[in-house]
This record gives sequence, structure tokens and C-alpha cells, in this order.
Amino acid sequence: MAVALRIALGLITVGCIVLFISHPIWFPAGVSAQSAPLDHNFRVAFWVLGALFVVGQLVLIWVLVKPGTDREPKKNWYGNGRLEIAWTLAIAAIFLWFHLSGNRLWSNISSHHSVADAVQVEVTGVQFQWYFRYPGPDRRFGRVDAQRFARADEGNPLGIDPADGAGKDDIVSSALVLPAGRNVELVLRAQDVVHSLFIPAMRFKQDTVPGMEIHSHLLPTQVGNYEIACAELCGLGHYRMRAVVRVVSEEEFEKWLRAEASQ
Amino acid sequence: MPIISDRVEIKRKPKLGGGGPGKIPHRHGFGGGDDGDRGRPEDFRSRRQRMRRYRLVMGLCLFSVTVVFVVLTFLYILRLGTGRYDEDAHRQIQDWIPLKLPYLQLWVNSLLLLLSSITLEWARRGMARKEEFVDMGIVPPPLKQDLPWLGISVVLGFLFLAGQVLVWQNLQHQGVFLATNPSRNYFYLLTGTHAVHLAGGLVALLYAAGGRLLGLRFESQKIAVEVTGWYWHYLAFLWFCIFALVHFAKG
Amino acid sequence: MKAGLITEARRHGEERDFLRTYVFTSDHKMIGRQYFFLSLAAVLVGAWLSLLMRIHIVWPKTAIPFFGEIKPENYLAYLTMHGTLMVFFVLSMVPQNGFGTFFLPLQLGASEMSFPRLNMIGFWTALLSFFVLMAAFFVPGGPSGAGWTQYPPLSAIALAGPGQALGTDLWLVSIGLFCLASIMSAVNFVATTVTRRAPGMAMMRMPLTCWTWFVTAILILLAFGVLVAAVIMLLLDRHAGTSFFVPGGLLVSGKPVEHSGGSPLLWQHLFWFFGHPEVYIAILPAMGVTSHLLATFARKPVFGYKAMVGATIAIGALGFMVWGHHMFASGMDPHAGFAFSSLTTAIAVPSAVKTFNWVGTLYGGRIRYTTPLLFSVGFVSLFITGGLTGPLLAQPALDVYLHDTYFVVAHFHLIMAMAGLFAIFAATYFWFPKMFGRRMNERLGRLHFCLTLFGAYATFMPMHLLGIAGHPRRYSELTGVQYVTAMLPLQRFITLAAIVTLAAQLIFLFNLFWSLRKGAAAEANPWQCTSLEWTLPSPAPPDGFAARQPAVNHGPYEYLPGTESIEDFVMQDAPAS
Repeated sequence: MAVALRIALGLITVGCIVLFISHPIWFPAGVSAQSAPLDHNFRVAFWVLGALFVVGQLVLIWVLVKPGTDREPKKNWYGNGRLEIAWTLAIAAIFLWFHLSGNRLWSNISSHHSVADAVQVEVTGVQFQWYFRYPGPDRRFGRVDAQRFARADEGNPLGIDPADGAGKDDIVSSALVLPAGRNVELVLRAQDVVHSLFIPAMRFKQDTVPGMEIHSHLLPTQVGNYEIACAELCGLGHYRMRAVVRVVSEEEFEKWLRAEASQ
Repeated sequence: MPIISDRVEIKRKPKLGGGGPGKIPHRHGFGGGDDGDRGRPEDFRSRRQRMRRYRLVMGLCLFSVTVVFVVLTFLYILRLGTGRYDEDAHRQIQDWIPLKLPYLQLWVNSLLLLLSSITLEWARRGMARKEEFVDMGIVPPPLKQDLPWLGISVVLGFLFLAGQVLVWQNLQHQGVFLATNPSRNYFYLLTGTHAVHLAGGLVALLYAAGGRLLGLRFESQKIAVEVTGWYWHYLAFLWFCIFALVHFAKG
Repeated sequence: MKAGLITEARRHGEERDFLRTYVFTSDHKMIGRQYFFLSLAAVLVGAWLSLLMRIHIVWPKTAIPFFGEIKPENYLAYLTMHGTLMVFFVLSMVPQNGFGTFFLPLQLGASEMSFPRLNMIGFWTALLSFFVLMAAFFVPGGPSGAGWTQYPPLSAIALAGPGQALGTDLWLVSIGLFCLASIMSAVNFVATTVTRRAPGMAMMRMPLTCWTWFVTAILILLAFGVLVAAVIMLLLDRHAGTSFFVPGGLLVSGKPVEHSGGSPLLWQHLFWFFGHPEVYIAILPAMGVTSHLLATFARKPVFGYKAMVGATIAIGALGFMVWGHHMFASGMDPHAGFAFSSLTTAIAVPSAVKTFNWVGTLYGGRIRYTTPLLFSVGFVSLFITGGLTGPLLAQPALDVYLHDTYFVVAHFHLIMAMAGLFAIFAATYFWFPKMFGRRMNERLGRLHFCLTLFGAYATFMPMHLLGIAGHPRRYSELTGVQYVTAMLPLQRFITLAAIVTLAAQLIFLFNLFWSLRKGAAAEANPWQCTSLEWTLPSPAPPDGFAARQPAVNHGPYEYLPGTESIEDFVMQDAPAS
């Protein structure tokens, strides 16, 4: 029985190693400025924790001896104080190092100073659709009042106040079009329930909470189309609340803005 | 009254593991024996242990209730201080409309509650004194002497609750409804939660006061009064905290 | 039971009827059995729901025999009910209220819980709570579809989805009742542990199961009240027009919502302030059972008893300070994120200490490979696996990507559902003789263990990959987002593994019910364990220790080194040598 148990745990450990090393699916290619540091952090975590996993399972296998094997530690029958302290300090040190190295990235991601020529986009989550609003040449967003003005069928899904001059040149799009290589400043909001803007390729996720305007930032680095998924349960259509990020060259972006503005 | 407590000390084995026994208490009721419920109810140790047990449980319940009221108070102050986010102004704004509290009514209610606490305390001490008669084997005198205090506490408690309902009605006549503003939301939440807990205490008090009629043993009634007394005093203290909060943190 | 309890009672000259013996009883042992069977009912429903969910994700158009096609709108309802049933009615019930109610007094040498009738009322409240929850399946709109976490405004606005009307109200009432039931029971546990230990049973001589039941009860007292408050506030938002959680300006399904001034984040804070201690409430008794069983079957004391007690208390205390790690992506202040991250990583230390001590207990032991031991070893293995992804998720930068993906689903299923379940299985096989007087079949037990161990890993390890690839949670179909559709093959594998694992549980059910009637009769101490419940005959007689109170002279795990005989242990109430 001991042998069978050891083999079972061993097979499981090997299976897990094979699964993660061969990884049939993995991270999508990273296309933003924060994807490389995040992927690096993950790699460190993966190897450290993976090593702890393997060591843990192997030690467990090692202690499961056949009955009759003589390994009796008559010395440490009830425990060993020094050993206890030693391994507590060791694991605490490992986790402390792990924690500190991981958190440097967090302060980079979460604290951000405004850049002058950043693209401003306002993201609104609605059941079950994403809308992206650009402020237009006046670089000001118009006032929004969903309850009074929002009419999706009349082309005003966000409810931009027609009386507000700043809103006349706002561009509302259902695709997030961005120029490669420029900072993007996002304002995230929601019209009905909590949603979450998740762009896996850019390693970006932020909940959009009704009643809040959450500021975040992005720096797309590579031209291409990337999918957006909703990552907070928002109702029946949660699974199909999809959008696309189109990262284009600077000229394309300006062209697109002009085309949208003229409509 | 002395408690038999012959402590037996065992040499502590010098190791970190193994769960060395330390001092083995032999006091009944605290790891030294069960609380003697198997003994005759008149046995002194048994009565004491029953009281201890019920007091412990009430203490734990009050602990739990305290956490809830601390959280609610914290939420009240937080909401008062931070306001809400305004999407037009793009910042937090204060939207707390201070309540015009009917102070006279509130002070009357507070007085009623305080009095009910005092009368309940008299009832409780009366019963403790009565117990001495019971110990000496004398049949306890008719409990008419402490029924009035218990009965008065019940009446005062009812009056307090009725007074609270009147305060709410008064506020509603001023146009202050539960839903109109966060200050109302939290005011009604705090006072409502307190009132519900007090109503529960009132039921317990009725049970304790009517104990004899329900055939409760004297000792059980004493425990009921004691434990309800703790609860009641705690809720009275809590009421004054809530009153102070809605007054000083008016917004 | 070998001879029914009623027959036994009659033999002793007492008249007892069915209702007083099996239904309205204040005997803690019967109440423990009642909780056990209530949890069994809940886990059967919960497992069935998970089967429906898994099938629907990968084969949406399949018609299940005798059941029909699963409609898309039902998926979210099944998801919510699965989570609620499993977290509340299984993991927070059977380790603590099921086994604890039965065995805490026995292991302490007490004749009964401190408040037997409160115990009974607690059970009936929990049963009522279960019925209220199940009623949601039968109301218009069905059960709530907002997940067991019920985030507003989705949970606060009836228009926001099917099941958000009456279904959600029933959920809220059910959970409120459940919290009250748990608090009643917790109060009893603390009082019993403090006042009813047998002579000589010092706190540091209690088996570790008693320590975990005690600490868990304290956690329940502190955490559940906050959930009741949150539930009441949500009910007020839904029906009394308050705005604790609902901000202004909302437009749901084209209709304006009348509230103003609330904060959805407030619910998240309140819920997780309860929710994180809740997962420790679920796992601490399981850890206690594991410690107890590993010592028993390795014929060695628990390695580092004092450290284990300290780790239990540390986990309980730290568990209250880490709730924000569920909210890194929520819009909470990033500085708070750093604080929560530090404390969360700190909790990994006492958990690791416990793991080292379990391994230390096994090391050098004369291990007896019984089914309870197999499941306890399985617990340790799964705890290591599930636990190690915790520090990873504790880093906000990484969590921001992995939050609300299948990576988190893998993490909590491995450490809470699978490890917790293994401990429940271990405890069932171990204590079955004392609860029902018979032995469960060992061979079937080993087969059950083997299939479930492989099944658990096969089902949940691949989910990590899904999360790494960015597959969000709670997706009822995979057709909405292209990169998610591409992961269908791996999802199919997981579903097949889940079906096999669930099928393997039929072995356990057969074993359980067959052994209740036809299992081999058990002697008083079939496992040669040292704790006090094994001094009573099997099944534990109704009067327990009432007639004869034990006096405790020894520690909880006095197994003797250096002997091959069967008598290699000293019962806790053996005379002092």
C-alpha cells in the first residue's frame, strides 16, 4: 500500500510537471509596456513555487515508508524546537523575498503620473457591450447622464448631454483604437452593474464600478488586433461581452479619429 | 464562598512539541470537572457553574454583537466623511443632509431606557439576596417583592421601543424617510438594529419576569434575570453610544 | 445502528418514540448525525449542479437523460447555488457542526454540550435555511444568478437578470438564517471547550481537533455577524429604497434606477471581511482532523504540538486582516493593496509550518495505510498544491491578470474543495465506527481514494493553464470570445475528468449506505487511537460520558516508540504511571 501510494503521488507530481513544462496553452504574447515585467514576475513565481511544489510532494513521498522500515527518531519524538524555529524562519524568508520582489511591479503599475500627450479614452461597461469614448479635438469629455439621454438605438448609448458643448465632438466607438507606442490614459466607468475590462495580451485588468471613475493607464507597443473580455460576472450576457483593441500606427490613428469626427 | 481548588502541578517536560500539560486545574467547571450538572440542582457548585456558563455565553454573544455595531458605526462615519462620487464634478462631494433630531423625545426615551436598566439591576440584586434564603433552606418569600421591579423594567422597555417608533414617525412627518439620504439610511439602520436587539431582549425579560408563572425554578429565573440584565445594560450603553454618534457626527 | 436507539432505550426501561430520538433531540451525538446527513444532501445537490455546469460549458446543446437540455440562463443559477451549497452547507457545516458537535464533548470527556437545546435549535435553523435556499429553484425567475458573492448592483436590482428578484431574496434570507444557526452553534462550542473539559484535560492536552473547533468557533462569532449586517443592508436596498450599495444614475435594461449615493465597493468590503475568515472556518477543522489522523496512523505524537496550536491561532487571527486580496482589481486604493498583500503572504508562514509538522509527524512513524490515512495524506498533498498558488495570487501585480480567471477557480477548488473534501472523507471513514457502530469497507475506500485523488488533480490542475491563458470565470458558454473558444479542447478534458471523479463518488455513497446496514460490527477502539471518544463503545451510546466521567492523565498523542506490539499507545484516561 505504501508503494502504491508513493507511486500515485509520484505520478501526479510528474504529471503536473509535464503539464506545466509542456503547457499546451499559455500566456498570449505580451503587447504592452507592462507585459514584460509582469511575465518576468510570473516566471520567477512559477519557478520558485513550482520548486516548492515538487520538493513538498517529494518529501511527502519520502516519508511514506513501508511498515517495518526502521527510521524511528527517538530523539525528536514530540518535535524539535530548534528545527521548528529554523524552518519557520526559512520559509518566512523565502516568502518575504518573494513578496517584496513581486510588489515593486505593483507600485509601478498602480502609481502613474499623467503624461502630456497621452491618448485619453473613457471606457464604459454596459450590459453586455463595451463603449469607448474619445474627447475629440477639444480634449474634453462632454457631460454624460445615462438616465436622461442614453438611447442606444438613436446613436447615443452613453447618454451624452446634447446641451454640453464639450460633448459635441466626442467620438463613441465600440472598438478601442489606439496608436502604438503612445501612453493611453483610461477612465473606466459602468452604466449598470460591475464589469471588468480585461485585455489579456496587454496584461490589463480593471473593474468598472458604477458610481466610480477609475483612472488607469496603458502603453500598447505592437500593432495588431487583441480581444477584450469582461472579467466580472454581470448577468446573462457576461460570456459574450467582448470587444477588440485595434492598435495601429500613429498616422492610421489620426486618420481614424478624423474619419470618426466627420460623421 | 470558597471554591475547592486543589491545583495539582506536574513537572513541565522541557520540549517544544508534545503538548506538555502545564498546570492541571482541578477546579470544577474549568477543566477540572464538568459543571456538576449531574449533581442535585440545589448543590452549590452546580448552581455557580450554571451561572458561569450562561454568563460566558452571554459574553460571547455580546462580543459578536459588538463587532457588528463597531462595523456599522465605522460605516456611518466613513459615509459621512467621504460622501459620494459625482460624475459631473469628477470628484467626491458631500451629500449628507444632517438630521434634525427631536431631542426632547430622544432624551425621554433615553431616560426610560436608563430607568429600565436601573430597575432591572434592582431586580437582579434582589434575586441574589433571595438566594441566600434559599441556601439556608428557608423557603424564599413570595416573589411579589421583586416582581414589581421586573415588571416595571418590562413596561419601561416597551415604552422605550414605543418611543423609538414615535421618533421615527415624527421624522417621517418631517419628510425624513429611510430612503431619502444616506444620513437617513444609516440613522434608521443603526437605530433599527438596536431596536430589534432590544425587542429580543424584551422577550427575554418577559420570560424572566413571568418565570414563576411558567413554572421556572427559582435558580433558573435568577440566571435568566442575570443574563438578561447583562444584555439589557449593554444595549442601554449601546443606545447612548448611538445617540452620541448621531448627535456629534451630524454632518 | 446495530440495535436501534429506540430498542436500546426500551431495554434500559425508558420509553422513547421516533420523534424524540431521531428528530427533536438535544443529544449532541444525534444532532451531529443530523448535520452530517444535511451536508450529505447539500453535497449531492451541489455535485449534481457542478456536473450540469461542466457539461453545459463544453456541450451546450446536450440533453441530459431524465433532465433535458440545460438552458443558458440556468448556468448562472447553477453556479450560484453550487458555490453557496458547497461553501456554506458542506465545508462550513460538516467539519465543524457535523463532526464537531458529535466529537467535541466526547474528546473533552464531557457528558454533553453546554447548551443542548440551543444545539438543537441551531440545527433546525440550519435546516430551515437549507429549505429556504432550495425553494429558490421553484420560484419564478429561478435562483439568483449573481454568484455566491452576490455583488451589487447586479444583486440589488431585480431587473438586472433572471433570478435577481425572488430568487435573490430567498438566497439572502437563507444566508441570514444560516449565520444565526452558526453563531448559536459556535457559542456552544466555546462554552463547552471552556467549561466542560474533564478533570485533567488542560487546554494543552486537548486533541488538535478540539483546538481547531474552538478557534473556528471564535472566528464564526466574529465574522458571521458582519455578513448578517451586509445581507440586511442589501435587503433594505432591494426593498426599502435605501442606497447602501447602489449609486445614482444607473440605467438597467433601459430603465432608470431610483437609488443614489451608495457604493458597490462597500458590499465587497463587508462580504470579504466575512468571506475570508469563512474560508479559514472551512479549512481549520479539516486541518485539525488531518493532524489527529496522521498522528493516529503514524503511531507518533503530532510533531510540534505547541507550534500547531500557535499556527492555528495565527491563521485565525491573520485571516481577519487579509480580505482586500479579493479586491485588488476592484478600484480599491493601491496602497491598501500593498498592505493586504503583505498580510496575505504572511499567512503562508503558519500554513507552511503546519505542513512541515504533518510531514514531521509521518517521518519515522510506523504508518498504517488505512483509508483515513490515505485521505489525510491526500489532504496534505492537495494543501501543498492549492496553497502554493496563494502567495502567487497575493501579489497584486500578478493578481490583476489572474483575478476572475480559471486560475483562481483552480486555486480555491484545490485547497478548499478538494483538500477540505479529503479531510471530510478521512473523518467519515475514521469516525464511522463511533457514529454508526460499523466499519466501512476498506477495499472500496482505497478504490475511492485512488480515483478521487487522480480525478481531483486531473480536473483542477489544467484549470491553472486556462487562467494563465486568460480564460475568465463564470462564462456560461465559450462561444462569446474567440480566444476563449480556442480553449475548448482543454475544457473538454476537464469535463471528462470531472465526470470520472464524480462517478467515483458513487463508490463512496454505496460504501456509506451499505455499511450503515451491513457493515462489519465495530469494536470500541478499532484504530487504537488515544483520544477519549474511543473509550466508549461503538456506536457511542446515548448517555455518552454521563454515567462515568473520565479523568485525564495523559497527553493527546501518547504513542510509544520502540515497540512493534499492537499496544503501542496510552489512552488519555489511562491511570498515571
